Amino acid sequence: MRCDFIRPVALSFGLAIAVAAAGQTAPPAPAADESAATQSQPTGNPIDRWNRMSPEERERQLAKLPPERARLIRERLRQYNQLPPEEKETLRENYHRFSQLPPEKQEVVRQRMREFRELPQARRLVIRHEIEALRALPESERRARLSSEAFRTQFSPPEQQIVRDVTENVAGKR
Amino acid sequence: MTCPMESRNPEMLVAYSAGELDPETASALERHLAGCPACRLLAADQAAVWKALDAWETPRIALDFDQRLFRRIREEVRFSWWERISRPFRPMPFRQALPLTVSACLLLMAGLVLQHPGRIGPVEPRHETVRLDQVERTLDDLELLRQVGMANQPESGNSNAM
Amino acid sequence: MGAAAATLDYDAELMLRVKDGDGISFGLLLDKHRAPVVHFLYRLVQEQPVAEELAQEVFLRVYRSRSSYEPTAKFTTWLFRIATHLALNWLRDGRHERGQQRLDDGLSNGPGRQISDGRPTVEQQLVYEVKLEQVRQAVATLPGKQRAAVLMHKYEEMEYSQIAKVLGCSESAVKSLLFRAYESLRARLAHMG
Repeated sequence: MRCDFIRPVALSFGLAIAVAAAGQTAPPAPAADESAATQSQPTGNPIDRWNRMSPEERERQLAKLPPERARLIRERLRQYNQLPPEEKETLRENYHRFSQLPPEKQEVVRQRMREFRELPQARRLVIRHEIEALRALPESERRARLSSEAFRTQFSPPEQQIVRDVTENVAGKR
Repeated sequence: MTCPMESRNPEMLVAYSAGELDPETASALERHLAGCPACRLLAADQAAVWKALDAWETPRIALDFDQRLFRRIREEVRFSWWERISRPFRPMPFRQALPLTVSACLLLMAGLVLQHPGRIGPVEPRHETVRLDQVERTLDDLELLRQVGMANQPESGNSNAM
Repeated sequence: MGAAAATLDYDAELMLRVKDGDGISFGLLLDKHRAPVVHFLYRLVQEQPVAEELAQEVFLRVYRSRSSYEPTAKFTTWLFRIATHLALNWLRDGRHERGQQRLDDGLSNGPGRQISDGRPTVEQQLVYEVKLEQVRQAVATLPGKQRAAVLMHKYEEMEYSQIAKVLGCSESAVKSLLFRAYESLRARLAHMG
């Protein structure tokens, strides 16, 4: 009788392990990987983790790439790491908020930001100012502004969408 | 050079029109074309075909292409997860469910122990690595965020500013 | 190692990471191959919504197959094999006949066309549309495998050996397919030169 009990326990234990292991394979995300989704603090983004790796390990990874690509990545990392501390911290906080979004939402926001990049410089300045101003507002005032006639008059529908999607998803709540 | 048409090798003329021949062969063929109307005509016709095909532009890809794809993938994964998870639990008599419950408890206990390494003993630190493609992706996102002003602290709330 | 071979390794390496559960690598592969696959399928089936639907299915199958992926061939060979298979099935199902009716609706009703150089005049646009229709019809008359071979040869600049692997035939068979395809296209399009 004892053997009858132990065998199903062992099999069930193995099954529980297998089910837990199978649960580790998450569907692909356009940007944030599984570890980013579980970050509890803004210190854990991939750039931070990259910076904490040993120089040998970093060089080992870069050496696998075509030289020009490796050079570009080094340059981009250098520019990021040399940002003024307050700017870097604000960017990291906002990236953390962005990375917590579901992958589909991230892709929407990403697309809006790409669309922003395609706008003429003058419009980019105006929209950027609007986003910054909205970020400074409490949520109720922000919502009021986004649904106001003045907002709709000042910005075209695509521009409104850019402001809305970026602000509502990344700006944070006050 | 042997005439491609006569030697039943007109592919050479197609390759020539596509710029696929090495320089030496192309030069030899060009000398031949100067004196062979049949080959010259085929090469000219093929060049016209390339030019026509070159002009065939394609429509833009829908902006929500990726969103739709990832939604389908997530639905598929969610469905297969449920299938995998629910299968062992379908209809299970108590006699079979009991050992499973015991196993689940054992697993839970193991998880709790691992979460509190100080009670058992030191846990070796994990060597943190991140892949370059993750780094690149993050750099792309950070640059996008920076462009829309997400590196700047918002000034303290002043709705009159707008 | 040449740049092309390095690219091959990188695609396969990304796919191996997808096999390990890395979703970001799948996103990178999608970014790189989305447009070529959609454009290839568009020219093959000549309906943009269908092309995008089939392309989604291609990437879905790539993702589904991740656990059994082995880099025995170039990643693009595998990718285009899936795409060609799906498109030829779709064409064989006879739905292309319905699609042919949509072709007659004209370009102006289709999705935004990418115009490479400035704004054409109305006359230029009309001339372009007439020429384009001839090109599309000429390609549409090609049998499925010839059509796929031409598109891979012309637009993806694949070598005969790779096209052969995509179509599951010999290199000499690919040469024959291309020869007959181009012969047909010359008959229909040479006057446009």
